[in-house]
Amino acid sequence: MDPEAAKSAREALDLAFHMSNILDTGLDRHTVSILIALCDLGVNPEALAAIVKELRKERLPVSSLHPTPP
Amino acid sequence: MDDEEEQQKLPDLVKALIHHLLSQNLPPNSQPLNPNSSQFQNSLRYAHRILTSHLTPSITPDAAAIAESIKRRLATEGRSSEALSFADLYTKFASKATDVDNKWALLHLFNIISQDRKPAVNSQSRLDASMLLPNLTISDNNVRRRIENKGWEDGVVVLGRDPRNRREVAFGEYVKLVKEENDVTEEAMVTDVLYACQGVDGKYVKFDNENNDYVFLDSIRVSRATTSMVHKLCGLGVLFKRVIGYIDQSLGRSPVEDVGTVGQAFCSALQDELSDYYKLLAVLEAQSSNPIPLLSETVSSGNYLSLRRLANWLAEPLVKMRLMADLVDKCRVLRGGAMAGAIHLHARHGDPMVHEFMKRLLQRVCSPLFEIVRRWVLEGELEDIFSEFFIVGQPVKAESLWREGYRLHDAMLPSFISASLAQRILRTGKSINFLRVCCEDRGWARAATEVATDTGATARRGGFGYGETDTLESLVDEASKRIDKHLLDVIYERYKFKEHCLAIKQYLLLGQGDFVQYLMDIVGPELSVPANTISSFKLAGLLETAIRASNAQYDDPDILDRLRVKMMPHESGDRGWDVFSLAYDARVPLDTVFTESVMARYLRIFNFLWKLKRVEHALIGAWKTMKPNCITSNSFNRLQGAVKMQLVSALRRCQVLWVEINHFISNLQYYIMFEVLEISWSNFLSEMEVAKDLDDLLAAHEKYMNSIVEKSLLGELSQSLYKSLIVIFDLILRFRSHADILYEGIHELQARITESSLSSRDQKKTRKQLNDKSAEEGSWIADGRKALTQRAGEFLRKMEQDLDAISKEYSSLQEEFISQLPVQQHVDLKFLFFRLDFNEFYRRVVS
Repeated sequence: MDPEAAKSAREALDLAFHMSNILDTGLDRHTVSILIALCDLGVNPEALAAIVKELRKERLPVSSLHPTPP
Repeated sequence: MDDEEEQQKLPDLVKALIHHLLSQNLPPNSQPLNPNSSQFQNSLRYAHRILTSHLTPSITPDAAAIAESIKRRLATEGRSSEALSFADLYTKFASKATDVDNKWALLHLFNIISQDRKPAVNSQSRLDASMLLPNLTISDNNVRRRIENKGWEDGVVVLGRDPRNRREVAFGEYVKLVKEENDVTEEAMVTDVLYACQGVDGKYVKFDNENNDYVFLDSIRVSRATTSMVHKLCGLGVLFKRVIGYIDQSLGRSPVEDVGTVGQAFCSALQDELSDYYKLLAVLEAQSSNPIPLLSETVSSGNYLSLRRLANWLAEPLVKMRLMADLVDKCRVLRGGAMAGAIHLHARHGDPMVHEFMKRLLQRVCSPLFEIVRRWVLEGELEDIFSEFFIVGQPVKAESLWREGYRLHDAMLPSFISASLAQRILRTGKSINFLRVCCEDRGWARAATEVATDTGATARRGGFGYGETDTLESLVDEASKRIDKHLLDVIYERYKFKEHCLAIKQYLLLGQGDFVQYLMDIVGPELSVPANTISSFKLAGLLETAIRASNAQYDDPDILDRLRVKMMPHESGDRGWDVFSLAYDARVPLDTVFTESVMARYLRIFNFLWKLKRVEHALIGAWKTMKPNCITSNSFNRLQGAVKMQLVSALRRCQVLWVEINHFISNLQYYIMFEVLEISWSNFLSEMEVAKDLDDLLAAHEKYMNSIVEKSLLGELSQSLYKSLIVIFDLILRFRSHADILYEGIHELQARITESSLSSRDQKKTRKQLNDKSAEEGSWIADGRKALTQRAGEFLRKMEQDLDAISKEYSSLQEEFISQLPVQQHVDLKFLFFRLDFNEFYRRVVS
């Protein structure tokens, strides 16, 4: 890639990362870049979201957020 | 970028994503993730499954709209500054990031992830309406997830996390129950049903030959709902087996007992319909390999095939298959036109789909029939190897070709062809065959090609089939019009039908008066001897003489050739009069009209007319002898007064009787000759003018003959009249012989008297002259005058008595005859009655 394209790509990535931070998605920059690439390839965003959710879920039992029922 | 590169990038990217995400999950101080661990592979597979099942997004790919909705959401959450900065970022992103194509996808992705994460981060106390509404996707695990995540955090539903747990528990128990009840998974059952729909036994569902049904094996336990559903769907399989069985059976038969062309067309049409069905089954089978999601199991696939979905798909084929199975059952024993008619009856259905289907089927099925019709109507060829057509032909001799060669076979007549149309078709083909065989005419081919070009039938064979009965009708009408006209032309011109009819009338019905008179004159004396002594050659020679002597000699020699004498079979007591008759030889093709039975009727009429003519001839002969009234004038002056009176009265009686008889006979003759024969003939002529085809001609001729027979007292209703008439005829002939005797006697007497008177005056002069004559008269002269008178008196008395007897008998017979006339059925006989009794003489006598 030529530097121009690289620069614009970096800028786009920055913007996207900012947006995801505002929306509080908890995604880091590397993940965002992978997701951008996947969306560009035409993958269904809902599917990607589901994957992210699923794979993250395995974290949830570790950090249990739900109080036990009274 | 290349496609291949892209395709290669995708799995790599996915792997990288997973790696990264999982790495994030690990506690901070564990080993780095091994890409080949089973956990990783599981996750990878799982990720792939998710990717392949979510193929279409549920929202429109509109980035601006998504951005808007995000902004609004942020604003309503109270994070308005963030909303503004988001909007700012978005505009920059939208303008700057030119190599990111699916911006909307990215935004949507962020949206979903952020929304998912929100309840995990936030507290659980408030409900966010905006979270609930846009998340209406079809995928049920998403919904489930969201429900799980949100947990119905309403002020009212203060169940907290419980509902979700209970729900889960309930679902889990349900799944366990389902698994326990059914030994077989739903996918296996679906596969089995699909097999059954093709007539093949599945693993768990077998065909039961007794009940003609598909049943589960007894060893398998399934819930009742499933059983009934499977049963219903396998009904399709049963119908399918029926249809396929019929097709195989029909196509596999030996050519001897073949179903015929119509049956074959039917089978091929069914096979076409079935090919559509097979296509559907193929698609369904492809889909059935997708696993079916059962509640809360970790399966998510979109195009799966459950029993319910299968039922939906198979609904329409079920209707069609039922139709086909019904038809197959109906047509199992039928063939040809009957089959087409039976299917047509089924086609009268209100449902448009059924109607369309049947119409398609019938078009295929009826095409062989219509082809046969076309060939028959245009070429006269009956190509019907399997006897499916409604016209059957049988080999007959040439003269009965028209009447019996072809007939309609009603069992094979399909119901959409009306009877009159069938008659017309029959007649057209018959005419062509008739022309070809009997008339040896080739001109009909020209007429047929004209028809073909007119209706364009040869050009577009396909456009003329079922559902277009008017095309068929117009074709048949055109063909029949031309062929009939051609046939009639041939009959009239080449075979001179009218001339022959006229000739028959002239000769057999005694229309040619001078010929008949002459014939009677010559043949009469020959016929008075017993029948077995007459030689027909002599009679034939006499016939020739008669022809040559009368106007008949100017007739067409071909016609005269056909006229000959025929001696009827006679018994021992018959005289020549009873067996003599004329015959007319009608050859092919006219003997279609003048068949044996028709000629026999002509002969009967001839017989009657001949008898009548004979009586008339006898009467005229008697008149000839009676006419010279000079008998009464001078020669009997010498007789005594008494004898003279007797003589006069005898003569007078004879003459009166003769006049009466003559009145009767001449009126009867007039009635028969003019009111019966001529009128019927003119009716027949006028009907011949308007006759359009040979059937019309035959009917007209029948009518002609019937009217003659009825009116001339030869029918069954007038049997008694006819008998009394014959008796009258016999009596008249006896009268004639008596009259002859009387006049002969008178002549002798006259001769005696003249001779005796002469002899008294001039005996010497005339004796020599009379000597030659007197040889046989010896007895009279010798007796002298007195004896002469006495003998004369006796003779005359006897004659008078005889004449009295005859006249009494005659009047009684005549009264009987006349009294029977008014009660006859035929109205024309009333005219005869009127003529005979115009001054009510007889009525007075009778009453």
